[in-house]
Amino acid sequence: MIETPPRPARSLGEAVGETIGFTQEGARYLKYEAGSLNPEGSRRYYFYLMLPAIFVLACITIYPFFWLIYMSLHSVDIGGAGDMWNDFRNWTRLTRDRKFQDGWLRLAHYSVLCILFEVGIGVLLAVILNNSRFEKVLVTIFLMPMMVAPIVAGLVWYYLYNSTFGWYHWLLQSAGILGETSILGDRGTAMWGIVIVDIWQWTPLIALITLAGLKRVPRDQLEANMVDGAGAFKNFFQVTLPNLYPFLLIAILLRFMDNFRFIDAILVLTGGGPANSTKILPLYLFDISFQFFKLGRGAAIALTLLIMTIVLGLILVRVFESPAGKVNQNEEGR
Amino acid sequence: MASVTIANVWKYYGKTSAVRDLNLNCNDGEFLCVLGPSGCGKSSTLRMLAGLEHISAGDILFGERRINDIPPKDRDIAMVFENYALYPHKTVYGNIANSLRLRGMSKADIQQRVQKAARMLEIDHLLDRRPGELSGGQKQRTAIGRAIVREPRLFLFDEPIAHLDAKLRAHMRVELKLMQRDLRTTMIYVTHDQLEALSMADRVAVMHEGVLQQFGPPQEVYHRPANRWVAGFVGEPPMNFLDCDLAEEGGDLCVRHPNFTTPLLPEQAQIMQAKGGGRGVTLGIRPDEIALAAEPGLHAFSGQVMITEPLGGDLLVDVILEGSKVLVKAKPNYRGGRGEVCHLTFDRERWHLFDREDGQAYF
Amino acid sequence: MASRDIVQYRSPGRRLLSILTVVFLAAYLVWTILPLFIMFVSSFKDLLAAFQLPEVGDWLSIGVFFDFKPTAKHYVDLFVDNNFGTYLVNSIVAAGGSAVVSVVLGSMAAYALSRIEFRGKKDLFFWIISTRMAPVVAVMVPLYAIFRGVGLVGTLPGLILAYTTFNLPFAIWMLKGFFDNVPYAIEEAAMCDGCTRFQAFRAILPLVAPGVGAFLVLCVLFAWNDFLFASIIGSGGAKTLPPATRELVQPQNIQWGKIMAAGVVTTIPMMFLGLLIRRYLVAGLTMGAVRE
Repeated sequence: MIETPPRPARSLGEAVGETIGFTQEGARYLKYEAGSLNPEGSRRYYFYLMLPAIFVLACITIYPFFWLIYMSLHSVDIGGAGDMWNDFRNWTRLTRDRKFQDGWLRLAHYSVLCILFEVGIGVLLAVILNNSRFEKVLVTIFLMPMMVAPIVAGLVWYYLYNSTFGWYHWLLQSAGILGETSILGDRGTAMWGIVIVDIWQWTPLIALITLAGLKRVPRDQLEANMVDGAGAFKNFFQVTLPNLYPFLLIAILLRFMDNFRFIDAILVLTGGGPANSTKILPLYLFDISFQFFKLGRGAAIALTLLIMTIVLGLILVRVFESPAGKVNQNEEGR
Repeated sequence: MASVTIANVWKYYGKTSAVRDLNLNCNDGEFLCVLGPSGCGKSSTLRMLAGLEHISAGDILFGERRINDIPPKDRDIAMVFENYALYPHKTVYGNIANSLRLRGMSKADIQQRVQKAARMLEIDHLLDRRPGELSGGQKQRTAIGRAIVREPRLFLFDEPIAHLDAKLRAHMRVELKLMQRDLRTTMIYVTHDQLEALSMADRVAVMHEGVLQQFGPPQEVYHRPANRWVAGFVGEPPMNFLDCDLAEEGGDLCVRHPNFTTPLLPEQAQIMQAKGGGRGVTLGIRPDEIALAAEPGLHAFSGQVMITEPLGGDLLVDVILEGSKVLVKAKPNYRGGRGEVCHLTFDRERWHLFDREDGQAYF
Repeated sequence: MASRDIVQYRSPGRRLLSILTVVFLAAYLVWTILPLFIMFVSSFKDLLAAFQLPEVGDWLSIGVFFDFKPTAKHYVDLFVDNNFGTYLVNSIVAAGGSAVVSVVLGSMAAYALSRIEFRGKKDLFFWIISTRMAPVVAVMVPLYAIFRGVGLVGTLPGLILAYTTFNLPFAIWMLKGFFDNVPYAIEEAAMCDGCTRFQAFRAILPLVAPGVGAFLVLCVLFAWNDFLFASIIGSGGAKTLPPATRELVQPQNIQWGKIMAAGVVTTIPMMFLGLLIRRYLVAGLTMGAVRE
């Protein structure tokens, strides 16, 4: 790359570009002559190409974000009587709001249960699939739950859980696991009810991610360990598992974030009940915003949810970038 | 007893055969080299010896014991992989000590053995590093350390120095040969580099497309190749091949070529008369076994210089004959240039005749 | 050369393991397919048959599940009485439209981001990816307000725009990876031959076409299965299949047959699409983190 000293901006567009850092850092790489073959030589062109998409995204995401901040600082009256400045009362109320705190606890409870089982079963499934002759066919079949709309999954399982005519209820009772209780109607079992639906739908994803990871375990290392004296089990724990960590981490983070987003199934299964035992935070937010219309408090809650998402996202990106996380590169060591 | 016997071994991957009816043996303490180009079956053979592949047919014996169905960890072998196969999340110490830890050795014993091996390989200052921080040569020596610390009865080396630079390779050839002599452990070493094979091994097994071509000491493989393929593969620069006829001239049996008719030596003539018949032959002669002069001499014939390649201590000359080309290693003081006429003399003690159809060597 | 799998040696432990493996796989297979199977079969059962269950513990009467006269009545009713034809079309238009818009805009942005460097690029990227991961519930209220202000509530274009919220960042993120894999040298060669930049861009499009096609389908998949946006922003004039299915659940006299039929109608097209883009599914669902 030829180094040319930066020139003063030629036009308003370039001036804007400079101020937002487009050209400063990249000045070393620039060739300003029009028509140069260097990609940076015609930055404006690429800038304009990006514009529509960025503009749309900004409208849809940045604007609402500021709106949320605004709303969280006001007492919003949808009746049209105008918003009253609220100081931070919406926020301070959160510290006293039992349902808010319970919402987080339930969310954590739900997520942990889901992820525990999904990872446990998923990894087992992946190991079996990896060694199976029918891998391709089986994977195709196991894809199916993931294709179902979460709301439909909720409805089907609602049907299956019903104490009068639900087949899963009948199955569990006949197997002696369930007593006289209704699965979704009982505080003790309702959480399990929604967890099972999530497990049903998303274990295949964990399995597939793990499967991709298993195929990337360097064969050399496994064989060397075999020669060194390890049997199949030891080999799995000493070589395979350490190589799988980045994949599992990505899987867990993604599932965690998805648990924040998908309340469709829970809406039809329990609606948050019985007695709020399954009211995870996003669901509480939904209620507050669309049933009680307390938009100010809702906005505050929404912001906490968004902050958490961003934190998780940062962690996820960090994992992507870390050397261990370079899951799509060839094995190191050569 | 650490001898190895490979008896009628075949290896199939699906329908493709990689190793066909292989018969080899290796004596206790011997350095055996399996030499051949890629795809010739040498790696498959080594992996079968290690137990990393099942044996499709035949038997492999360590000493008197048939080891076909014994898993690698019970075979008392150690292997050095082409790509080193180090564990990236363990330190050099951990890598070398791995097999000892798996066998439940005491910490003190492990420490002692690892230190000894590391000192021998001059990597004792690297014991706390991770493989990612090592150079190619250091990684390779770690891999070797992992093997020798076991004190097994058989070493299996799979092209261990293939990925090092030329200087380091030359250095490691000497190191490995000395190491094997010191440890006196049986070693089976796979490579595609004939230089390694000739310089290091006690015996060389040359393989091509799954079939063993020749098996013997390096000198034999070099000076008395069993067939045309081995003759062309071993030796650098490679042997020259010229298609010729046998003809009687002046009472002697001669090799006849458009450019020359040179009589065979009496022993050679005898062999050809007994076996030859009227078949076509291929003459094989190495570049350093042809004498090049500006003036003609006894049994000399002429050719035209195409190009000269000065290599510093050697001078390679490409000479054009009728319909073929010959590479000659001349003395550096030869002054001939492109297009000039030169005179070649074959060293008849050293040339070879191969059957033109099946490539078998007559002598 | 080496065999496909790592070598395994027979041992009694291994035999036991194989048997357990088969049992586990069979059980998991049944567990996976059963709900879908029940949904499918129940969609053909009339109302009374849908409620048939054997007595508790009576394992042998499982056959009662199959003991019914199949009827296609529910499917017919859906389209005749419940307007499902419209909803189906809405789903197709909304999902397809959003996919097309997202991929078109997204590929341009992805291409641009792939070819230039600037300070803050990483942050831009993080912003893009966070919009994909944000919980919809959180931004639903302001989005609704915005859409209502512009008059887009209850319209298909409005729904398409709403779906773009998550499909566009997804498209940008994933397609950038594809463009990164096309060497700039190809465009340079094209420009040496006399093309303008845009023509060069057109020249490399065939190279990313398979990826673009796959992500088009993935965008359709995510939009089709969405419920929240459709029920809140699409309500009124742009109802799609998921909220329509939910609405069939009334407090009294739930029409299970119809609901199951609606579920089948909503699910089957996605099954086909899933099979189509099987290879890219894991990459799509993990935001490109894991590629097959």
